[in-house]
Amino acid sequence: MMLLQTPLFWAFLTIAAFIAGQQLYLKLHKPIFLPPILTAILLLVGALAITATPYVTYMQGGRFLHELLGPLIVMLAVPLYQQFHTLRRQWLRISLAISAGSLTTIAAAWWLTDWLLNDDVLATTMLAKSITTPVAVAVTQQLGGNTALAASFVIVTGILGAVMIAPMLKLMKLDQPETVGLTLGTCGHAIGTARALELGPVQSAYAATAMTLTATLHAILLPWLF
Amino acid sequence: MAGFLILLTFLMAGTWLQDLLQLPVPAAICGMLLLLVFLLLRGKVPHSLDTTTRFLSPWLPMFLVPVSVGVTSQAELLQQKGPLLLVILIVSLIPGIIVCGLIMQGGKNKS
Repeated sequence: MMLLQTPLFWAFLTIAAFIAGQQLYLKLHKPIFLPPILTAILLLVGALAITATPYVTYMQGGRFLHELLGPLIVMLAVPLYQQFHTLRRQWLRISLAISAGSLTTIAAAWWLTDWLLNDDVLATTMLAKSITTPVAVAVTQQLGGNTALAASFVIVTGILGAVMIAPMLKLMKLDQPETVGLTLGTCGHAIGTARALELGPVQSAYAATAMTLTATLHAILLPWLF
Repeated sequence: MAGFLILLTFLMAGTWLQDLLQLPVPAAICGMLLLLVFLLLRGKVPHSLDTTTRFLSPWLPMFLVPVSVGVTSQAELLQQKGPLLLVILIVSLIPGIIVCGLIMQGGKNKS
């Protein structure tokens, strides 16, 4: 079929799949395990499999959207600036919690991957798992990891974080709203932040701050270290 | 559209800076940091940039779909190592949550 070769068709289908994902998310009363991006990915992976379309052909259309990631990363400066006053009050505690927390989880992931799978590219890809996807893709590219997998690791981590963090912290009696929000943003990036938004305004402000700071810290630090 | 132009300007400035200093940091991150410095110096977000941010933010995940669909090209790898990778992702999250929670709340429990 001609249509399947047309780049615009795949760009159209990507937008349509995301909107379908959003609708489903609202219909099911916002289940944490099914963010719109996951539905969209599953639908498109299915569409490519059914039509036997190679990823390269799809990406000729997907590229239209993908190219816009650059300016969107730059845009993250705006929420970071808006949260600046929240940060200043407890900056030492916040920056310690974010850097130690996020570096612990990626060190654990890197070490486990290296030990269990003994695969350099996969271990490198694991490093980007706690940063919000657009930054993760850029960093993985820089480090020589596998960008397609990096995006999946990040999304799966976000969903796991959104599900695990609040119950775990409650179990340890570390469930002040600031702590829950900050941990959701540090370990669960954008998907964790979306979860924090449902928990309350304090949680979401801390989560958004933590997500942006983690991304900035890792984006600057990881390329120097590896 | 003027807000989008600001983003593109800072992206280009970031690309230029990264190239000039041969930084290992991604160009878009350099652009983001430059924009942050600009906003801190200016003291407020320009109206056009604020409008663009409000409009685009809810759609950000959509722009990540194309690169994520790339998992289809990794099917073989995931068949072999997928379950183990999932276990690694779950296990590695636990110490991160504990460390982050303890530092953020340690020593200030009210009870």
